[in-house]
Amino acid sequence: MIFGTSIPNGQWFDSLPSCEAQVPCGEGRHPVRWEAGSFLLPEHPDVEGELVLAALGGEKSGCVEVAEAWQRHGADLSVLAIGPRHPADEIVVGWDDVAAARPGPVRLPGSLGPPGPAVAPGPGGLAQHGLMRRAGARPASMAALGARRRQMQAELELVERRRNDMLSLLALGYGFQVRLAGQVAVAHEEAADERVRPALVAAISGRLAPVAEEWLGIDPGQVVVSLHTGPGWGSVELTGRGEERRLRVSLPAGWLARVWACGMALTGRHLVVAVQRAGWPDARVLALRAPGAEPVELDVHGAAGTGDAPHWEVRGA
Amino acid sequence: MNREGAETYLRLLGESELREPLAAGVPQAWSGGPGGSIARMMAVAQALIAVGALDAETARDILGNFELAAAVRRAQGTQGAPGAPGARIGSVTRPGAIRFAGGARGIAEGVLRAWPARSMPGVAQPSGGIQGAEGAEGPPAGGPDRFVAVGVTVPFDRGEVHLIWYTHTAAGARFKVMWRTREPDSGRSRLPGVLPIEEFSAADERGGRYRLHVTAQGGPEWTVNLDVHPEPPDDISWLDICAPGGRKTRVSLNATDQANPPGPPGPPGPSDPASAPGAAPEIREAKVSPGEHLLNMLAVRLLTIAPEFPHDLRLQLAAVSPGPLTNAAAGLGHVIAALEAADVLSPLSPVPGRLAALCASLRVSGHGITAPPARDLPEPWLSLLAHYHRRKPESAPTSDGCATLAAVLPELDGVRLALLSLDNSDGSTVLNVLANGLAPDGHGAASAVDMHFSLSIWVHDSGGRWHATRPSNWHWADSECVLTLHLVPPLAESATWVDVLAVGQSAEVRVRLPLDWGYSP
Repeated sequence: MIFGTSIPNGQWFDSLPSCEAQVPCGEGRHPVRWEAGSFLLPEHPDVEGELVLAALGGEKSGCVEVAEAWQRHGADLSVLAIGPRHPADEIVVGWDDVAAARPGPVRLPGSLGPPGPAVAPGPGGLAQHGLMRRAGARPASMAALGARRRQMQAELELVERRRNDMLSLLALGYGFQVRLAGQVAVAHEEAADERVRPALVAAISGRLAPVAEEWLGIDPGQVVVSLHTGPGWGSVELTGRGEERRLRVSLPAGWLARVWACGMALTGRHLVVAVQRAGWPDARVLALRAPGAEPVELDVHGAAGTGDAPHWEVRGA
Repeated sequence: MNREGAETYLRLLGESELREPLAAGVPQAWSGGPGGSIARMMAVAQALIAVGALDAETARDILGNFELAAAVRRAQGTQGAPGAPGARIGSVTRPGAIRFAGGARGIAEGVLRAWPARSMPGVAQPSGGIQGAEGAEGPPAGGPDRFVAVGVTVPFDRGEVHLIWYTHTAAGARFKVMWRTREPDSGRSRLPGVLPIEEFSAADERGGRYRLHVTAQGGPEWTVNLDVHPEPPDDISWLDICAPGGRKTRVSLNATDQANPPGPPGPPGPSDPASAPGAAPEIREAKVSPGEHLLNMLAVRLLTIAPEFPHDLRLQLAAVSPGPLTNAAAGLGHVIAALEAADVLSPLSPVPGRLAALCASLRVSGHGITAPPARDLPEPWLSLLAHYHRRKPESAPTSDGCATLAAVLPELDGVRLALLSLDNSDGSTVLNVLANGLAPDGHGAASAVDMHFSLSIWVHDSGGRWHATRPSNWHWADSECVLTLHLVPPLAESATWVDVLAVGQSAEVRVRLPLDWGYSP
């Protein structure tokens, strides 16, 4: 069953091999697979049927829950804020962790219902100072308080589900994490307005800085990133000296997907700034030998690395 | 204002913090690891929200994501081998396990909110037309708000009640009172005891009769608000308070607002800006940017915390924790950089240098301010620093007492303040104010920026000393808040008048008020 193909992600993934992970499902574990931009559930040929049963009160399978989380967060910029910055930035979240982090119903103090984690009082400070409390609250105030409680409860559950989603997606492992990051970046590359620019700039900065450190030996804090829009691949220049030294980089959001997520950001001592012909295991990229230099075309060849992170070499080098 | 720059700065700070080695830790600004990182990011987020450069929802998302990002890395880095099963992540991501998580909610509710909308004072009538906050009922039809300094003691068979002030606003009519009861055996009045308020009643000159109800507001335990029910007419001249035992005490409600006496107020003279006690408030347009105003507020915070944590005490406690003074200063460099990124603080502003000088004078390190220390500190700062370095005040309050004020200030940054009383008790001084225009959330958080109160209130006494204030208690009644401001240093009872200076982002208001130290509980 193919799940998640509704999110358009172009061909950014052509330079990525498929990857697979095991997910707790029912009494055992099932494989889930990422292939050519799609999230696949090989053990669940009739997902739609399962969802109907779940809507009628049946239990949703673990595989389907993860697939739904994948779909829910396919354009969620939080994925870039939480996920890995580089292969050594290993995030180890196991399925035991996901299960342990899944609490019972979140309960607000003073509300009825089964015991659950208590949450600090919200605004308005239910606690009162002073000698005694007001003798009686107005009915309107009580109604407003009830509505606010319900709103807070709903928000808490949303936060809860979002966190559980994130942990589940992280539990899939590095290969899935970078592929989801690529999908998110592509989802925003065409409309990188002021609402998403800060998140994209931070996402590129956080991923480019360690690459630049390896490339030039520059302090990651001296890498200044801006978002490139329009034609061309962007720019990379080195300015200043000593503490004033800065590597000023302007790249498009798509770089995160087409280059970084595919594991080819630093290939053969070159900073890869664009992909001219995507493909696996062979591709052609545009790369810089040094800041300020003209980019050169490189034919690169990929091989499976550890943790589903491809490793690329320049062909003939 | 560059909101995109503000958000980008906070996000990039998060990236920078994540590059640092992460270790388990509590969220304290001085500590390394995610705890310190979160505290620093909180400080920056609060600052950006306070000046309106970042909305709270975005800040919640950024901080929530950072918290989770740090948690999944910390779990790996500090507990067991990667991949080892267990409750590593669960233990830190379950709601409430991380201090700030769920934090997305804890942060969300209360800590992160914008200061009130800014407005120039002088537009609204100083003594009338206070509009309630959102959802509040309007003011009493046909009448302006009323603030009366009462200063009348009502004896009753088991003690006495001292009426400090009377207010009649959209939230109703009420007295602020202090009381004491006599111990049966000695007749001495030591403890407040129980106020038999159900045995009190009131009557006005038109024959209207009222009951009095104790409400939850108050400062010390022997001070409460007495609501008057039903709501009396706006224009009554007096109320007779009928006490248990049959005594009747007449309370005149014709006293005038000290800051707005009847008749056309003359403009204050340039050589004596506050003019005589009881003169109209002086209003000046502020010439500071939003970022400078915020930094000045942070300076006040440092100045008011410092006396409680002198340097020798900090040295003794250093092994345990650097304490709240260092905590308050931590991340200031980032806050300044963020304000500059948001274009609400000029790189040429002198205020960061003043903050650096203040930190140096208080011997607080770790603030991260890169500006060189300035030499031209404001006079109030110097006054407080002199007090701090003397270690003890030149003159302490001689005895407990209360001076009623009942002065209403013009609206400032969307906030209306009525100055109610100055209370000396147990060697400390508090200024009680009634505030309109505050939202009933945001206070009480142990944060670098008070997200609730956007004004700084200074007191300059007749002896020439300056006193900074720090909000210490909030008591809400519908849309109004009785706010207790703790004065640092305490006010000497020898003071015969005070200038109260309320500084907002848009303007500052100064009013001179005579002090008549009266009732002592």
